[in-house]
Amino acid sequence: MRYSVSHITTLKYAQAVSMAQFNVRLKPAPWNGQVVSDYKLTLDPSPAQVVEGQGGYHVNEARFALREVTSQVQIESRFTVEVEPLPFFVEDAAGPGLAELRERAMKKPDLSDLAPASYIFASPIAQPQHEIARWAGSLLNEAMPVMEAGRALMSAIHGEFTFDADATETDTPPIEAFNRRHGVCQDFSHIMIIAARAHGIPAAYVSGYLRTLPPPGQERLVGADAMHAWVNLWCGEELGWVGFDPTNDKLADTDHIFLGMGRDYSDVAPLDGRFRGAGTQAMYASVDVAPLD
Amino acid sequence: MVTRPASGPDLAPTASWLDGYAAEASRGDLFGDASRPVADVWRKVAAGLAAATDGDPSALQDATARHAADLGLAFRLTGDEDERSWPLNAMPLIVGAQEWSQVERGLIQRAELMEAIATDIYGEQKLVADGHLPAAVVAGSPFFARRMIGRTPHEGRFIHVYAADLARGPRGQWRVLQDRVRVAGGIGYALENRLAMSRAIGNLLADAHARRLSEFFSGMVEGMAAACRRENPRIALMTPGRFNQTYAEQAHLARYLGLPLVEGRDLTVLDEKLYVGTIAGPKRVDAVWRWIDTTALDPLSFDAKSQLGVPNLFGAWAGGGVEMVNWPGVEVLESAAFAAFMPRLCRTLLGEAPILPNVATWWCGQAVESSTVAARLEELALVPAFGQPVEALANRNPIAGAGLDGKSRVALIDALWRRPMDYCGQEIVHLSTTPAIIDGQIVPRPFTVRAFVARTADGGWTVMPGGFARLSSSTALPTSLMGDGDLSADLWVVDDKPAAAHLGSRVAGEPPISRGGGILASQAADNLFWFGRYNERAEAMVRVVRAILANPADSDGNVDAEGAALPRLAALLVEGGAIEAATAKLPIAKICARALTETRLAGGVATLMRRRQQVGMALRERFARDFWRIVSRPMPSINVERPQSMLSSARWLTEHFSALAGLISENMVRSAAWRFLEIGQRLERAQAICRTARQLTKAGDVTSLGLLLDLCDSQIIYRSRYLTGPSLNPVRDLVLLDPDNPRALVFQVAQVVAHLSALPSSRDDNIPEPPLRAARALLGELQALLATDMTPERLAAMEAQLLALSDAISLRYFLQLDNEDAERRTPLL
Repeated sequence: MRYSVSHITTLKYAQAVSMAQFNVRLKPAPWNGQVVSDYKLTLDPSPAQVVEGQGGYHVNEARFALREVTSQVQIESRFTVEVEPLPFFVEDAAGPGLAELRERAMKKPDLSDLAPASYIFASPIAQPQHEIARWAGSLLNEAMPVMEAGRALMSAIHGEFTFDADATETDTPPIEAFNRRHGVCQDFSHIMIIAARAHGIPAAYVSGYLRTLPPPGQERLVGADAMHAWVNLWCGEELGWVGFDPTNDKLADTDHIFLGMGRDYSDVAPLDGRFRGAGTQAMYASVDVAPLD
Repeated sequence: MVTRPASGPDLAPTASWLDGYAAEASRGDLFGDASRPVADVWRKVAAGLAAATDGDPSALQDATARHAADLGLAFRLTGDEDERSWPLNAMPLIVGAQEWSQVERGLIQRAELMEAIATDIYGEQKLVADGHLPAAVVAGSPFFARRMIGRTPHEGRFIHVYAADLARGPRGQWRVLQDRVRVAGGIGYALENRLAMSRAIGNLLADAHARRLSEFFSGMVEGMAAACRRENPRIALMTPGRFNQTYAEQAHLARYLGLPLVEGRDLTVLDEKLYVGTIAGPKRVDAVWRWIDTTALDPLSFDAKSQLGVPNLFGAWAGGGVEMVNWPGVEVLESAAFAAFMPRLCRTLLGEAPILPNVATWWCGQAVESSTVAARLEELALVPAFGQPVEALANRNPIAGAGLDGKSRVALIDALWRRPMDYCGQEIVHLSTTPAIIDGQIVPRPFTVRAFVARTADGGWTVMPGGFARLSSSTALPTSLMGDGDLSADLWVVDDKPAAAHLGSRVAGEPPISRGGGILASQAADNLFWFGRYNERAEAMVRVVRAILANPADSDGNVDAEGAALPRLAALLVEGGAIEAATAKLPIAKICARALTETRLAGGVATLMRRRQQVGMALRERFARDFWRIVSRPMPSINVERPQSMLSSARWLTEHFSALAGLISENMVRSAAWRFLEIGQRLERAQAICRTARQLTKAGDVTSLGLLLDLCDSQIIYRSRYLTGPSLNPVRDLVLLDPDNPRALVFQVAQVVAHLSALPSSRDDNIPEPPLRAARALLGELQALLATDMTPERLAAMEAQLLALSDAISLRYFLQLDNEDAERRTPLL
């Protein structure tokens, strides 16, 4: 599948601000089965310099500063992407059992941003939670193959939780969403990450997009009009990282466009930064993911 | 050291407190195990201590505690709102030069090892690739800063200051319990303990040939300076702020070492260079000794929520614009999991065995180790592998396997099975004891020592010949610097000869001569200004209270009589925000007690004293010790039932303010810092005079004018000039317009003009800046006016001008980010 993706964010400040510094994480990082072309980031007002680099994890990061006084900033990210279908063997694969997976993850001499060791420990937002660990414990066992474990967690979240865009804010702790059994893709992903890590499965937070309009005859996917998030589980050397989307109860496939992955949302937040000034601000975002063929 | 049969000749060992001292021989004891010459030093010191206090250990302990309090030593435990007084034991720990030299060599080797590991982890990562170190041991630390990979310090020095917690075992073997490279907490306490000891028993330090600490500190700062790119670099100590547990320690260090103490909000990064905002504009900072975690250093590169850091500080250090002490990311080496690999890494990287072993540790992320720990749980302690709360150790504290009941044991093994990589097994260390003075007795106490190593200018290392010793109230291993009920003590490393040779051999070049108080950060100027204001405002309120109490004639129920002073004075308290309007109708004792103890209203004396204390905390490194001691004295207690006691409290407060005023005028260097303190006080006083004069000249009656003279301390001058009682225009002239009266309005404004003229200008064209112009305009007006012009309306207008002047000063000199939400994070999508 080929898509044309556009993501426009507008920040409006009630009072003019100065020395605003931004991190923008909207350019897709390299990913298997996905080829990006024509990436373009347009900023208004235009900063003197945009520094392109990598965030701490597997994510691209563009940094810029606006020194002049400003009251509105527009960030426009556009690209074309070709997404290959999931390799046929993944759907049917089982992967190693959890005990063995854990040992393999510990033994792999890899410190890179795709290493399992980088995603198996607690992270700023995905802190260990007894309740979530116990809940996951009722679904998993030590011998269970990791793919089965991933599906079990994914389906349980999809079945037990209600998608509710008004239930949580971006900074609602995962445990609150868990206790209320309501939330959005970000909450579901964090809950699944905490659950997986509690049993020693390396788990990463993926930020990305979903195709906006479904193919004819199919239902529109949940979360398609904004950014989306799902979970990558490390399923051993052979399978590598496999995407599980607990919001839609399916593996990440040609409907999912990968932007970047980190330990949790804080590593891949599409936009963060600092400015000087005391006024309130508002943010408007519009996302469009249009199939090209 | 050459072993000698006997000790130095200068002090013969005599009968002492230590004669009856009985430590358990099997446990090991610092005095019990000491070689004969060192044991003799112990006896000499004990004898000296006894002699200094007529043989009463409690008296000695009291004296030491007093000296510690005088130094302003204090600390907080997590959750403490107020600082606690510092528990320093008067009996030092004495270690002979020979025993110490082994410790020293071991610490230097370990510092080298830490440096080599940091270089690899943030560089080539060969240790992981070659299988010497599991990736998870690095990645598991919350301090592993992936962004720092490939970012090496320009002089190649990851570590400048290294600290280690040491334990001494039953047979006298020293071991490392914990490595510390994040923050060398305790280094300032070690220094302060030594200062307190030398105040209390300085001669004994010399008699015992205890090594001095000062060379260590100068060597450390020279080492930091050598890594900077400019000559005479500016090295700043970066603090998380005055609410941090060890703020007092940071402030003391900054003062002792002469480093500016800065917070993140004082700092800005521009073009990969770091600047501190000062009253004279931004000034370059060449090196930062950070007392802040890597994760909080830069909200753009690490934790986006951090309010302590500086946006894009990363850019400054990565671009070589600022040297960081220690290099961000080195904290990764502190975890218990690393300790498990230290012996092996020492052989791999340095090709030698560790001189100073660490406590035996097994990281459970490996199958064999995990089974070993599970099997030997009875004899081991379980600790979190990366210092974070984990399932079976929710509060991060170690658990001894032996103490577990069946059920918790099963739960623990279960947790260990599911996430083995979160845990380490550690051998349980037995601590040897040292003599301590407890409740007037000399008794053995288990101890640990935090030792410090610093990088010198030539790239080598220097070890502090001493350290921060902690005497545990229990036998548990220390998890923080000070626990509830713990004591600290000073560690002395003693030579068998005086260290004269050491002093002579040190060729320190004379520093270039300089004057003035160094840079004044805008933040500090702001605090000084407000310190002056609060101090003056509190004093003004106390003066009113005193005036009320000193006019008992009006208290005979005759409050509403014409000419009575009370209603007018009470009105001043109400207008100043010290009491509520309803309170003004109560009996005078109640009014005064309320004004003095009020903590809700902004103008209450207790409120003002507390706010003064709070901004004072942030200035602690600038104030002389005597000054701080007076500032921190608690308010006298107020007894509503006894007006007489209240009068004496008010007098006490007046004397308190006079003592501070005396120190400010006689002891404070005439730097910009002093000027801001003065400007704050003068502006506040000018406003108070306007307000008081406006209120008390309205009716023009004799009582009110008399009170005005009283409150402006001008009664005596008035009487010496005029034979009649107070009358309107002579009083106005004296308290408002007489340039020779130091309590007159015009005098305050003239002082403000003088101070503002002396401050550095940000302009190159010699045109005066707005605050100075505003102050001069007001002064000119006052100089041109006559007493008859000084109507209440005119005074009200002048108050408004003074407020505008205050705003102009804060706009020009202070950071404009003071309210909490001024600098905020943009919300995320």
